[in-house]
Amino acid sequence: MPMILLDCDKDIPERQRHIYLKAPGESTKDFLPIANVATIPGTLSERGCAFCGAKLVIGGVVKDAIQMIHGPVGCAYDTWHTKRYPSDNGHVPLKYVWSTDMKESHIVFGGEKRLEQSINEAFDAMPHMKRMFLYTTCPTALIGDDVKAVSKKVMQERPDVDIFTVECPGFSGVSQSKGHHVLNIGWVDQKVGSVEPEIKSPYTINFIGDYNIQGDTQLLQTYWDRLGIQVIAHFTGNANYDELRSMHRAKLSVVNCARSAGYIANELKKRYGIPRLDIDTWGFNYMAEGIRKVCAFFGIEERGEALIAEEYAKWKPKLDWYKERLKGKKMAIWTGGPRLWHWTKSVEDDMGIEVVAMSSKFGHEEDFEKVVARGREGTYYIDDANELEFFEILENIKPDIIFTGPRVGELVKKLHIPYINGHAYHNGPYMGFQGFVNMARDIYNATHSPLLGLAATDIRRTAKAKLALKEVA
Amino acid sequence: MSCEMTEVRAPEVNAHVKERAGTINPMLDCQPAGAQFAGIGIQDCIPLVHGGQGCCMFVRLLFAQHFKENFDIASTSLHEDSAVFGGTKRIEEGVMVLAKRYPQLRVIPVITTCSTEVIGDDIEGTINLCNQALKREFPERDIYLVPVHTPSFKGSHVSGYDEAVKALVKTLAKKGEPTGKLNLFPGWVNPGDVILLKSYLSQMGVDGTIFMDTEDFDSPMLPDKSINTHGRTTVEDLQNSANACGSIAMARYEGASAAKHLENAFSVPQILTASPYGIRNTDRLLQSISDLTGQPIPDSLVKERGIALDAMADLAHMFFANKKVAIYGHADLVFGLAQFCMELEMEPALLLIGDDNTRYKKDPRIKELKETAAFDMEIVLNADLWDLEKRIKDKTVELDLIMGHSKGRYIAIDANIPMVRVGFPTFDRAGLYRKPLIGYRGAMELAETIANTLFAHMEYTKNREWILNTW
Repeated sequence: MPMILLDCDKDIPERQRHIYLKAPGESTKDFLPIANVATIPGTLSERGCAFCGAKLVIGGVVKDAIQMIHGPVGCAYDTWHTKRYPSDNGHVPLKYVWSTDMKESHIVFGGEKRLEQSINEAFDAMPHMKRMFLYTTCPTALIGDDVKAVSKKVMQERPDVDIFTVECPGFSGVSQSKGHHVLNIGWVDQKVGSVEPEIKSPYTINFIGDYNIQGDTQLLQTYWDRLGIQVIAHFTGNANYDELRSMHRAKLSVVNCARSAGYIANELKKRYGIPRLDIDTWGFNYMAEGIRKVCAFFGIEERGEALIAEEYAKWKPKLDWYKERLKGKKMAIWTGGPRLWHWTKSVEDDMGIEVVAMSSKFGHEEDFEKVVARGREGTYYIDDANELEFFEILENIKPDIIFTGPRVGELVKKLHIPYINGHAYHNGPYMGFQGFVNMARDIYNATHSPLLGLAATDIRRTAKAKLALKEVA
Repeated sequence: MSCEMTEVRAPEVNAHVKERAGTINPMLDCQPAGAQFAGIGIQDCIPLVHGGQGCCMFVRLLFAQHFKENFDIASTSLHEDSAVFGGTKRIEEGVMVLAKRYPQLRVIPVITTCSTEVIGDDIEGTINLCNQALKREFPERDIYLVPVHTPSFKGSHVSGYDEAVKALVKTLAKKGEPTGKLNLFPGWVNPGDVILLKSYLSQMGVDGTIFMDTEDFDSPMLPDKSINTHGRTTVEDLQNSANACGSIAMARYEGASAAKHLENAFSVPQILTASPYGIRNTDRLLQSISDLTGQPIPDSLVKERGIALDAMADLAHMFFANKKVAIYGHADLVFGLAQFCMELEMEPALLLIGDDNTRYKKDPRIKELKETAAFDMEIVLNADLWDLEKRIKDKTVELDLIMGHSKGRYIAIDANIPMVRVGFPTFDRAGLYRKPLIGYRGAMELAETIANTLFAHMEYTKNREWILNTW
């Protein structure tokens, strides 16, 4: 099957290169959606900006750092209270955000003084916080404020603080993906190697590309603890700033989200010789396989097998209960990128669910190589889908459940299709064995809700039918 | 017999601007967010935000968090090349793509952001070019493009909303036959408020147009799967705003400038009323409607007022008297709720207003509060939520209640102070967009919500007082 031109795209035919319907016998050599290119203006795409890729996705998760956003107040306001990453220090990342609240005079005369003052105020207001992520935004990048010089000056005056600068305005790149990249490379350049960790185990890893969504990191940490593996740094779920500075001392980089954080794993390999191991942490088969790989690397296979056996005994019967009831359900995944290839086969193998359409906001072509290889035939693979395309695809595939964000979730509710929050989960965590049971439970509950059937009932027709019955009687 | 006089210090009402330069936990979003809120209130309208994709994507999420609905807003998806060479081509492309793919589309507000204002894109000139292109491509359609200048480094989402309502009225209003209708600019309110306002108009026999009519921001799941989540204010409504018998602006900083414009440009008489929170402010609104239309206030509203007073009297001096309250958010809401609290014998001791509008200082409601407050009151202008948190942590204010939007929820949770969610956004309580705060019914229901919040807090956190709320 060639690439698909949807009816709603007849006026923007270039969209055909982004939508692929997989036919039997085809491989990624034949067809692959074009990805990571600029969105057509006015298409109602789902994409965010590079700044959010840096701040909201990665940097903002770090639990002991001030998040100083140098720009107008909106960039701070909008990337606050929109994610669900708890932390074990009282959920600081959920509670606070900082902005230099740029005004017109700072645009005209430069905002460096304002920035310096705001940084000092922030450290003074919360004296227990000694670390800071400092981000530029569209206007401060356009006027060319030298944020590195300001942060250097503050660090000289306050020797106990450390500041990391992220220069990634919202207009850079085509999506949030650019922000992931800038933050990854910046962190390796500026900060890795500047703190020495305390080594407590012969088995040390960095766990990269997991943001503790509803406690994912904390659940997986219980596995590493049981395996006797020391996590030098979580990039960046529930992470401390200083543990991330000591990533150079791990023996292995274990990567979950390759899209948002594969870059830092590659740099750690290049600069410090730390091997990179990619695993999937959603799903029973995948999680077990990941644990086996990590344990094989350290030669502690029997510990891994013991843990897997224990977890299977505890959780597999619960998963199977759901699998029996979810078999054949059709699912659409409308998320960022990597979850497409993390989930498509794991929900099929572990829950019997068929993934029939997938759209990625910011995935690259290498993400599509993975997802098309892992995904089913007869399934749509879409890059940067927009709203009208979404409606048309839904009409074609009629899914039973959609994994997407809350806004799109509100939209599909009107179409009587349940959604699960594919970014922040409904009732997670979803990673690991227990997590995948949570995910199966949420899918089961969503697809078995009595409300959807009630929504489809037209009481006027029912009344008419009743009347007809009465007349017959 | 000697009589010792203790000198009683007169209560102070102290209004001042936040002392820090930077912001910790902002109270309000930036201007383009407010402009987008005005835009989605119009039927057959998709706002086009000229800036980075985040400026629109996150605001759509914010509206979804608050209303639990999806709203269509487009972006010009500005990138590096536009930052260097200008981004007007992306407006042209965006407008044409929207027009082609959405055949019902009639209005596109073109909303600027910080980046495109810094770059200096010529919005008006680009709109002229777009108009020519639209005429060529769609000679049978009228699509109205409205320039809305909302650089994020000025004001807040409050001024952005005001700017957009004004721009829409300015661009679309045109002189025609008098309609006899009344324009109402309710400000940044919820669907529940709009529905209540409509009910008041209908009870008074007044034909009114609400800018913007957001009733359907609370929209149903229907058997035919149709989606009706959109504004109800039409192009014709906006055009005829120039031909109304009068305008009532219910929020000084949210839509009042549009009413002012209609008075200046089309001689439509306007009345700026106090935002109708509480009994007295609602009286003022209804009397203003009556003044402009000549319609009397009906018995049904006298009864509703009486029921509200009856319910509030049950609560006021037994439970509310002398309770210290902090209120934060939009100026019109905060001042209005402060007046409402005082009707209930509460003491709004701390008011926080979240942007740098210099007009707030001269707001007549501050003068009124100064004249009537029998307790110390601090009003912080250009405030952030740290101003509230810090005062609680330092114990410079002892609070019994916090009223504000959900972005400040952690302050109340951490300090274990009862909180009633009001304003925008309220994403951590169910269904608040449906509940009116304005009018007699809004006042009554809000008073009851406050009471029930305090009661629940007493029952779960105090030792003795839990028995008191049986009366």
